Amino acid sequence: MKSLKNIWLSIITLLITTSGSISQTVELKAVGGLQYDVVRFKVKPGGKVKLVLKNTDDMDHNLVITEIGAREKVVKAAFQLAEKGPKMEFIPDISEVLYSIGVISPGEEKTLTFTAPSKEGVYPYVCTYPGHGSFMFGAMYVTNDEMPELSEDLHVPESRRSGQMAASSHDHHTQKKFHPYETTPPYMYRIFMPDSGPASIAVRLSEDLSYCWDAVRCQLRYAWSGEFVDPSEPWSIKGDAMAKVLGEKFYIENENFPLHIGNSPSEVEYRGYRLNNDGFPEFLYTVNGYLVHELLLPMRDNNGILRKFRIPDLDRDLVVESSPQKMSKVSVSKGSKTRSGYELSAGEGKSFELSIDRLK
Amino acid sequence: MVWYNIIKSWFYLITIFFIWSCNSQGDNHIMPETTYVVDSIDMADGLSGEVGAMAFLPSGKLIAAFRRGEVMTYDIEKREWSVFAQGLHLPLGIEVLSENEILVMQYAELTRIKDVDGDGQADQYLVETDDFGISGNYHEFTYGPVKDESGNHFIGLNSTSSGGVMMDELRGEKKEIGFREKGMYAAVPYRGWLMKWTVDGQLQPFASGFRSPNGLGFDLDGHLLVTDNQGDWVGTSPLFHVEEGKFYGHPASLVWEEGWNRGRPSDLPIEVLDSMRQRPAVLFPHNIIANSPTQPLCDDTGGKFGPFAGQILVGEMNQERIVRVMLEEVGGALQGACVPFLDEQGLRKGNNRLAFDEEGRLWVGQNASGWAGSSGIQCISYTGKMPFDILTMKIIEGGFELTFTKEISEDILSDLNHYLVSSYYYNYHEKYGSDQMDKKDIGIQSIEVLDKGKKVRLLLDTMEKDRIYEMQLQDVVSQDQDTLENNLICYTVNHLK
Repeated sequence: MKSLKNIWLSIITLLITTSGSISQTVELKAVGGLQYDVVRFKVKPGGKVKLVLKNTDDMDHNLVITEIGAREKVVKAAFQLAEKGPKMEFIPDISEVLYSIGVISPGEEKTLTFTAPSKEGVYPYVCTYPGHGSFMFGAMYVTNDEMPELSEDLHVPESRRSGQMAASSHDHHTQKKFHPYETTPPYMYRIFMPDSGPASIAVRLSEDLSYCWDAVRCQLRYAWSGEFVDPSEPWSIKGDAMAKVLGEKFYIENENFPLHIGNSPSEVEYRGYRLNNDGFPEFLYTVNGYLVHELLLPMRDNNGILRKFRIPDLDRDLVVESSPQKMSKVSVSKGSKTRSGYELSAGEGKSFELSIDRLK
Repeated sequence: MVWYNIIKSWFYLITIFFIWSCNSQGDNHIMPETTYVVDSIDMADGLSGEVGAMAFLPSGKLIAAFRRGEVMTYDIEKREWSVFAQGLHLPLGIEVLSENEILVMQYAELTRIKDVDGDGQADQYLVETDDFGISGNYHEFTYGPVKDESGNHFIGLNSTSSGGVMMDELRGEKKEIGFREKGMYAAVPYRGWLMKWTVDGQLQPFASGFRSPNGLGFDLDGHLLVTDNQGDWVGTSPLFHVEEGKFYGHPASLVWEEGWNRGRPSDLPIEVLDSMRQRPAVLFPHNIIANSPTQPLCDDTGGKFGPFAGQILVGEMNQERIVRVMLEEVGGALQGACVPFLDEQGLRKGNNRLAFDEEGRLWVGQNASGWAGSSGIQCISYTGKMPFDILTMKIIEGGFELTFTKEISEDILSDLNHYLVSSYYYNYHEKYGSDQMDKKDIGIQSIEVLDKGKKVRLLLDTMEKDRIYEMQLQDVVSQDQDTLENNLICYTVNHLK
């Protein structure tokens, strides 16, 4: 009898699963920055939904679909599980929890199949892993109508109402105040920069001129005109992010280190910088043991950048290599011009200027 | 956020009541209602408020570094913020040298920053040491410095995360066998190491095996204490007592051991790695005590901050909590217990940096950096009202001895029903984190009440090493009718007595 009952049950189950075909598949990812990549979706009342959750973040997450308006209550109940939390995968045993996917580790994927409520409304989904609930949530709209404008949707995290991932940068045209002080040039950021090394320094020289200096290679990497940088992404997310250059480069330096003292290859060591009385940084580094001071200043009318070098202990000839440029012209104040740059005597090399004039 | 606000408003009410009752009672001695008061500091306009580092200047001013590279000073009396330095990259540590000179640990280097011309703002940023690898990966945080009695400094280098990439241009040699596609790795020098910056300015590898050691400190006896974060090979977050030349469990760093010739460390059998590693002095059970512990700070206030002088306070990112740690030497090594501290008293989450001021107030700087957390600074003062809490938990032969801050009736202490003891362990494996393994309830054989009910000795049915003993105290009230502040305590047994 028992086996007969089981067979009947199987047939019934089979009938139900085949007849109640999936009306909608929703794919969600748990991503860095305590968020789901999709912050809202729409399903039909009573429709059959297949929800696939993939964890592409580097920490554990779960997902709980709650009764209308019950997100905060469920998050609080999950927190109060305290030491029982891990065993229950942080899903509290209360009636406001409608459906759930337990804890999934980085790289894992789980699928939940369920029938959407027949009552129309906005059903929150949320990660109830401790500490995540107040950021990591979204909204399941059970409706036959359209969803409201995203920018006005109070059911999704505020940071996502712009339609961008929280990981995306802010619009720099509406640049907010980043610091408790006025950012008038000169000022600088040590920050990850594109087309440079991992220890880069972005300097705002004037209202039009900026440059990127590399503290590993000890050299100017490039200079640009226009706005400065948008640093908002590296300052707002968890993950790799660089500042964005907001302007047009007019100078890009060769990969070769430009100063040659003696015949051996140039070995450089970064030593730091000092701000002069006007706040411009003067970089300090050694080249084959000789201490070099390099101060970069804006030219009058923002026509270019003047690099003032001092090598007080220089006692031998110096070769200054210049990089061919399309949008600027490079010249050195002392020494004799050669095919690839300038040759300076020890006396000349103690103090000289390298000009980068922008071509109009 | 709603319930957080409720707690906050409830807390303000209590504070207001406390202030009111003090005022209205004139000179009569009245005990304050709460043991600790948590004040939130107003941040300067435009400051992100995500705190990477905190310390105090000789003048008593607070100095703090923030995520967008500012170093600010705060005049506590005048409640005024001033800019000291700017433009730094992920500053995560400050050591004060004088009123106008500090060391700052930032992403790429340890920097000596000085206000040379005396106008209050720094104008000289010189490299002290940058003798370690960086690859432009977001997770290569750099922690410290902390200074020992001989003047050596220690800094911690976070492993590189596969959640990000390495830039094409690196600083330092690159070792392919240090790279992993999953989890944390160490393809550039000394990632995952604790480094010693010697008095004569050399940066030397000191100890290996760290994943994300966001917290260095010393106890009163000069033991170097370092926290790490749960993840691959870290079943639950630990506190280590770090000694020179030892390996603390995360294998990635091993490629930078001198003469390493055993291939990809993550390919070594787990038994081999397990036999090489040092055990944590204290494990913080995940989701129970802490998920992301930060700086360990010794209470060196000599009682100004309450009865826990000499114990270690550890920040926690994920919960509105600080963790209190008590250590003892057993079998020649440090081990001990951890207990929640300051739950539900208005503290925010994201507790990244801690510092005591001269008056013995604890300043807490908060951070998130994209993880769970918050921002801002809070100041915690001891009101003088003795808390009712567990003062110490010590291992004895066959069980544990608990000491309380207040007397408890023998009726309560000798009643088995007030204690719930369990034990479990966490796996050491490549997988991210670990479940609690082999969790079992532990029976109590006998209870001995000592010291007029301030102390109790519990003998348990079984005592095994390499396990955590979790004890919950239920419905325990003191003789003066106080309820126990924190009723959950976890002891990491590495050695039996």
